[in-house]
Amino acid sequence: MSLVAEAFVSQIAGKVPFIHVGNQVVSELGPIVQFVKAKGHSLSDGLDEVQKAEMKAYMELVNNMLLTAELYLQWCDEATVGEITHARYGSPYPWPLNHILAYQKQWEVKRKMKAIGWGNKTLDQVLEDVDQCCQALSQRLGTQPYFFNKQPTELDALVFGHLYTILTTRLTNDELSEKVKNYSNLLAFCRRIEQHYFEDHGRGRLS
Amino acid sequence: LLSGDPPRSPRSGPSPQGPRSCPRHVQFGSSPQSQPRSPSCPSPGPAAPSGVRGSTQPRCRDSPRPAWPAALFRCGGRLWMGRRPPSPEARCPAPRRPAASPHARSPASSGTSPGPQAGKMAAPMELFCWSGGWGLPSVDLDSLAVLTYARFTGAPLKVHKITNPWRSPSGTLPALQTSHGEVISVPHKIITHLRKEKYNADYDLSARQGADTLAFMSLLEEKLLPVLVSVHTHTHTQNYVEVTRKWYAEAMPFPLNFFLPGRMQRQYMERLQLLCGEHRPEDEEELEKELYQEARECLTLLSQRLGSQKFFFGDAPASLDAFVFSYLVLLLQAKLPSGKLQAHLRGLHNLCAYCTHILSLYFPWDGAEVPAPRQTPAGPETEEEPYRRRNQILSVLAGLAAMVGYALLSGIVSIQRATPARVPGTQALGMAEEDEEE
Repeated sequence: MSLVAEAFVSQIAGKVPFIHVGNQVVSELGPIVQFVKAKGHSLSDGLDEVQKAEMKAYMELVNNMLLTAELYLQWCDEATVGEITHARYGSPYPWPLNHILAYQKQWEVKRKMKAIGWGNKTLDQVLEDVDQCCQALSQRLGTQPYFFNKQPTELDALVFGHLYTILTTRLTNDELSEKVKNYSNLLAFCRRIEQHYFEDHGRGRLS
Repeated sequence: LLSGDPPRSPRSGPSPQGPRSCPRHVQFGSSPQSQPRSPSCPSPGPAAPSGVRGSTQPRCRDSPRPAWPAALFRCGGRLWMGRRPPSPEARCPAPRRPAASPHARSPASSGTSPGPQAGKMAAPMELFCWSGGWGLPSVDLDSLAVLTYARFTGAPLKVHKITNPWRSPSGTLPALQTSHGEVISVPHKIITHLRKEKYNADYDLSARQGADTLAFMSLLEEKLLPVLVSVHTHTHTQNYVEVTRKWYAEAMPFPLNFFLPGRMQRQYMERLQLLCGEHRPEDEEELEKELYQEARECLTLLSQRLGSQKFFFGDAPASLDAFVFSYLVLLLQAKLPSGKLQAHLRGLHNLCAYCTHILSLYFPWDGAEVPAPRQTPAGPETEEEPYRRRNQILSVLAGLAAMVGYALLSGIVSIQRATPARVPGTQALGMAEEDEEE
């Protein structure tokens, strides 16, 4: 469990999540979860088959909607791109490489958006999609402490990671985090996890 | 739009099933915008203009529509019109055969008041989709999903099964032309439009089930779609050459059949590359490992979720069922390079039974339907024979005529009509002249 938390700390901090165990490095959420499972710790052991199916489905939903929306906002919204993303992405490189690489990345992301059908979406439509996704998550969560009742699972970790990032990253417009804030149970969920698992790190950014 | 109003619009209105009339909002699948298709329904409601074709209004592109939750909440008291029929048997008969349908009318159309439907339909909604083949009502995933959804809800659509995407009003298939002349071409938008028009298969879903729909749709798109897309892109596989490309090439009219399949294939290839990240699944084993592994897991998950129910959310089909059905049925049909995936699918008996159930209930005559524009590869190749022979002979004759005509006109060959007597005479004269010269 602590390993998964570690992974999310690094994701929140903006780095690619990876864990370093002995002389092995495992990166990205999926492989990390598998790795941890192979070591005998699994969060979803207590779920039955139907719940496991639902969990996988919701994880895909989050990846599909939230991740894409975050990418869109970072790279396809001109205001954000101009003010934040370009500068941040190109900062490790000298001029003119910083501009070139940033434009190249932007072009790549736009191409990907087009291929999955998000190319023609306006910001409002993207925000609507995020809203729907949050609504679905909110309804699934209901009044339970975690998505599958008492125990947190990989889904909780994933959702927390995304929502926390959305809520705490300052962007040019706050509409994205406003959308999330509309759902009080999601907000409470994030706060609860933050307090429960991260309070020893001294983070209190959500409150 | 939704802004801050979480689900809760209570549905009022007459509901024959008492306990069901509670405030539940329906959540729908990930893409809120599907354009509904409106077949010309054999509903007893007034103004069922089954004979009307197309709308006289100018067609315009669909503008982005508000999200489906908003559409749902606006429904208010008229929702009973769009309620899911409690049992499949009570469905509205299929749109194209109003007279011949053996099914009873759906409660929506037979029941209470046809009022809401009365003034609404200026012209029937028309759906353009890929035509059927291989025993399926349509060979394209999106078209099939939308068509299935329309059948589930009994929406009155006039369905045009075509093979030339340029003939559709939006240039792509599927496309819905609404009763107001707008053209919608994104499948999810089509379904949203249908819902707005009160043909709502997800009416009775709880909030949680609606959220589940969204989640499972994402799962399908993530895991199963790459496999289906790869069917269209792997040109060296037997499936592509012998089945897919052949179907499209035969189905499309000249001259589209020369370049359109190739163009579609490139589009799919691009999509596949993006779906699979940086990996290029050219290699069969790599493809097998990555895509098919995930697809197998996804199928197992679906099977577990379905369990022994008739549909994913109980006894009546919802939009999720339309999509799952489309994916499964196309997967079963496609000839993939490795049979493992299909063997796996066939091993999941509840999914197979599910597909057969839906096919037999909602598309009972499509399996045996005489395919309209072009034929399915299986059957009428023999019928093609006489035409093919005739065409061959005609083309050979045309070629011969062209060659002979050219030869005559350019003088390579000339037909001499001179009498036989003159010919030697002239020759003799010629020779005499020569002799004289010498």
